[in-house]
Amino acid sequence: MKRTRRDNVGILLFLLPALLLFFVFFVFPVCFVGVMSLFDWNGITSAGFVGFENYAKIFGDKVFWSSLRHNVIWALAACCIQVPLALLMALILSKKPRFWKFFRTVYFLPQVISGIAIATLWAAVFNSEFGLLNGILKAVGMGDKATNWLGNPKTAFVCVLVYGLFYIGYYMVILMAGISGIDETYYEAARIDGANAFQVDLHITIPLIRYSLATCMSLAAVFGLRTFEQVYLLTNGGPANRTSILVLYLYKQMNVNDYGGANASSMMLILVGAIVIVGVRKIFSSKDD
Amino acid sequence: MGKTAKNNKIQAQLTPKTVVLKIVKWILILFFAFYTLFPLIWLFITSLKTNAEYFDNPFTLPAVPQIQNYVNAFTQANLGRMIVNSVTVSLAGTFLNVMAAAMAAYAISRFAFKGKEALFALISAGVMVPLNALMVPYFTIFSKAGMLDSLNSLRILYAAIGLPISIFIIRGFMDSFPREIEEAAYIDGCGFYGRFFRLVLPLSKTGIVTAATFEFLTCWNEFVYANLLTSSPATKTIQIGVRYFTNQFTTDYVSMYAAIVIAIIPSVVGYVLFQEQIISGLTAGAVKG
Repeated sequence: MKRTRRDNVGILLFLLPALLLFFVFFVFPVCFVGVMSLFDWNGITSAGFVGFENYAKIFGDKVFWSSLRHNVIWALAACCIQVPLALLMALILSKKPRFWKFFRTVYFLPQVISGIAIATLWAAVFNSEFGLLNGILKAVGMGDKATNWLGNPKTAFVCVLVYGLFYIGYYMVILMAGISGIDETYYEAARIDGANAFQVDLHITIPLIRYSLATCMSLAAVFGLRTFEQVYLLTNGGPANRTSILVLYLYKQMNVNDYGGANASSMMLILVGAIVIVGVRKIFSSKDD
Repeated sequence: MGKTAKNNKIQAQLTPKTVVLKIVKWILILFFAFYTLFPLIWLFITSLKTNAEYFDNPFTLPAVPQIQNYVNAFTQANLGRMIVNSVTVSLAGTFLNVMAAAMAAYAISRFAFKGKEALFALISAGVMVPLNALMVPYFTIFSKAGMLDSLNSLRILYAAIGLPISIFIIRGFMDSFPREIEEAAYIDGCGFYGRFFRLVLPLSKTGIVTAATFEFLTCWNEFVYANLLTSSPATKTIQIGVRYFTNQFTTDYVSMYAAIVIAIIPSVVGYVLFQEQIISGLTAGAVKG
């Protein structure tokens, strides 16, 4: 097949829409955030260069640090609780117990429902007066434990964080895809050696899906850092910033027209995310080389 | 359920240990299914009760199913308008996204040019960009373009944010069929555009449907930027609606639950119909390691 000049024009023309969208909505915004984080800017009047003042300002703000801490807890909880649970269930369902396809469908279901609808559902669960959780507690005779789950500073953050940790479908499906790609001969060899199911999982399956695991870990960490809807809807950061997270923090900066500060927060989010991704990749790739 | 598990596969070694393990396994399987389904079913049942029934006891069934709650949700919250908005935004966003992605994927997959793999790697890396951190630049772009509070801004933005994953999926698919098919078409006098529209596009149908399904779901469920970029009732999408109901029906809980059910139903129906595409779309970028 000969390459003509018409082909070259065609290639360029066909790449153009995607490139245009990609540069306007990915490359430019990231650069914009980086540069504009060095300016004092309210979004209306012209911006003045202030160096790292915006960063100094957010670093001096207790709410920024508590937001960042919440994000880190969120990411760690996802990596240390959600992903291992997903791995456990992926190992179980990969052995194809009865109705496994049905259960896979069910576990994955929350993934297709919007975060905001799920959060509203859980707001109903945690509702202090008529909520499902307090209803269950009363029904089993533990009515004294009933509380205003989202209004109580002691319980609010745990409630906002914890309900999503048991939605394991997404990571489970990724890990199951990884497991199904493993060559049968590994298992045959293990069977001949007399390994039991546990040993097979531990010494064959898990090491062989470590790239899928690394992917799940980095996705879990990144989702933990960029989370927004749950907190915005359930508590809006309250009570007394006990549940604030970075995206909400920058959203609130924007609402008071502190665009420079919001950009500095965005930049921190992007940087922490990049560090986490690189870190997770490093941990998982150095294991065997 | 332990019983069915036992009958499931009658294996040679039914020692106490394997029996216990099977019971534990089924407890886990059923726990996650219950955890996912119970709140959703509870929400659906509650949406059919009267408020008095709900306040009295959150666990009873409605004496008479209250279809009226759904009528209330539709009339009071202007739900019809929101659904129409969400449908047009999602359809247009998906169409733009898939066309741009398919064209770019065709150029990348079927032709060689300088910097091609670097370009592909750059676009793929877009998946990891924390989009929630780009609120200020996106807001600025659309405000400068005079497109705030317009559904067109959402259509374009949604088409853009789904590009990395769509290009990834469609390219992977186009890479899988042999070059000889195009050679034949070339000899028959089919040019760059003819081969795309008459040959590659129809052949890539499966990949395109996967990308489109996934993109549609992203558009339908998106909340953060719908919330940031639109404000008037005429531009509200269904996810904004869900948020709005929580303020609107502060005393009419059952109508609020009816509204949430309405917002969830399209996702669930779509999921049941396109399950395989959605799962493979969500895992496409993840499994390659």
